[in-house]
Amino acid sequence: MDDPRNRQYTNGEITVFWVPSKCIHATTCFRELIEVFNPGRRPWVNMEGAPTRKIIEVVNKCPTQSLAWKYNKDLTEAEQKAQRVEEPKMEETPKTLSGSNAPTSIRLMEDGPIVVEGNFKIISAENQELKTTLMTSFCRCGASRNMPFCDGTHRKINFTDKSAEDGE
Amino acid sequence: MENDPTIFQVIAGGPLKVSGRFRIKGPDGKLIKTEGPVFLCRCGQSSNKPFCNGKHKQIGFSE
Repeated sequence: MDDPRNRQYTNGEITVFWVPSKCIHATTCFRELIEVFNPGRRPWVNMEGAPTRKIIEVVNKCPTQSLAWKYNKDLTEAEQKAQRVEEPKMEETPKTLSGSNAPTSIRLMEDGPIVVEGNFKIISAENQELKTTLMTSFCRCGASRNMPFCDGTHRKINFTDKSAEDGE
Repeated sequence: MENDPTIFQVIAGGPLKVSGRFRIKGPDGKLIKTEGPVFLCRCGQSSNKPFCNGKHKQIGFSE
């Protein structure tokens, strides 16, 4: 636990631990829950992006020991201390598809965002090029407070991508 | 060109225009579209999701 690259993130209830050296880039975390685990953002883990229950579910699916979690009441003294350390600017994140010639992958998440991976550029509504990373997620519910990106609001408003109600 | 980045253009109060080389897959993993440009709904109200059908104008969508 002494690797200076290691990080921990909390929502007050649980703490998620990130050990970059153990990551095999299986990409399970951000495929399942981009609102919380987004390698294109700093910090790359946003504990407010989903309910605790959902975060635990996805951390448990990590095939390595790279992501782990604990209830805050179970933290050791050292872990509690680490909680108060400021997040340094430099932060290692899981690697995504890089240097690939493959066409950009665009995946529609059920009742959720548009998840994009690959070689792409984003032009904002104001015609500015937005900072490009290898991976991002665009809002599809219309209610994000971080437009054009997803911030997890679709869960709160129970967004559905089934368009039956509007049957023309 | 083979290596040109895919362009995602955010249209103010409207859809997301996607052009270039891409593959769009649905929640079930099925390939939906590979040729652009396409306009993806951002307002959440299109009856032709994931594509835009102009509904954002009726609802006065803005970010």
